[in-house]
Amino acid sequence: MILGRIVGTVWATRKNPKLEDLKLAIVRPYFWYDPSHDVDHLIAVDQVGAQVGQDVLVCVGAPGRWVAGDYRCPIEASIMAIIDEVRIASESLSDGTPRFALRESFKPTTLQWTRGRT
Amino acid sequence: MMLGRVIGEVWATRRNPRFDNRKVLLVAPLERGDDGKLAPTGSVVVALDTVGADIGHTVAVAWGSGARAVFQPPDNRWVLADAAVARIVDAVTLGNDEEEQHLE
Repeated sequence: MILGRIVGTVWATRKNPKLEDLKLAIVRPYFWYDPSHDVDHLIAVDQVGAQVGQDVLVCVGAPGRWVAGDYRCPIEASIMAIIDEVRIASESLSDGTPRFALRESFKPTTLQWTRGRT
Repeated sequence: MMLGRVIGEVWATRRNPRFDNRKVLLVAPLERGDDGKLAPTGSVVVALDTVGADIGHTVAVAWGSGARAVFQPPDNRWVLADAAVARIVDAVTLGNDEEEQHLE
């Protein structure tokens, strides 16, 4: 899965019948696990009612195709959840510089988190 | 499957029902560095937890359609996940030195 922000919605009158009643959102990913897959934005099926500007968790590929209850759907990404908070262990961030490929626009809300927290 | 280290957690209240109420972990993939030790590659993946992994654990993550196989039938077709933590790794052996690297 990836994290991203919703930047827009897609409206279509004529579409594949498999896409009836599905809301489509344009998502801008914060990071990709594989640089060769890196794209500027993708279109995801939204079943949770996310709004423009909200951060979401997106499932990509074949598993995301199952949201409509059928794998024979022209879907390759779907929104799993609206994110409240991201917590990253402070030891993963050295000298305040993320060692991980987070884009500049992505700021985790809580950076201090020690292991063993109950 | 790939090796990774859990570095964080994602919190979400509003979820797709197919989410299955599982913990969502941020995992940093590990690769063998120049010194022969496992080191983070610099990217991040998000994976559902199935084994109770926590921050700092080294884990094996299953990908794509294989991630759904981590869940037990009949849930495996129902769960919406393209990455799942399949196990917590204790130690690995790399290359010819056959020296086990014990992981936290």
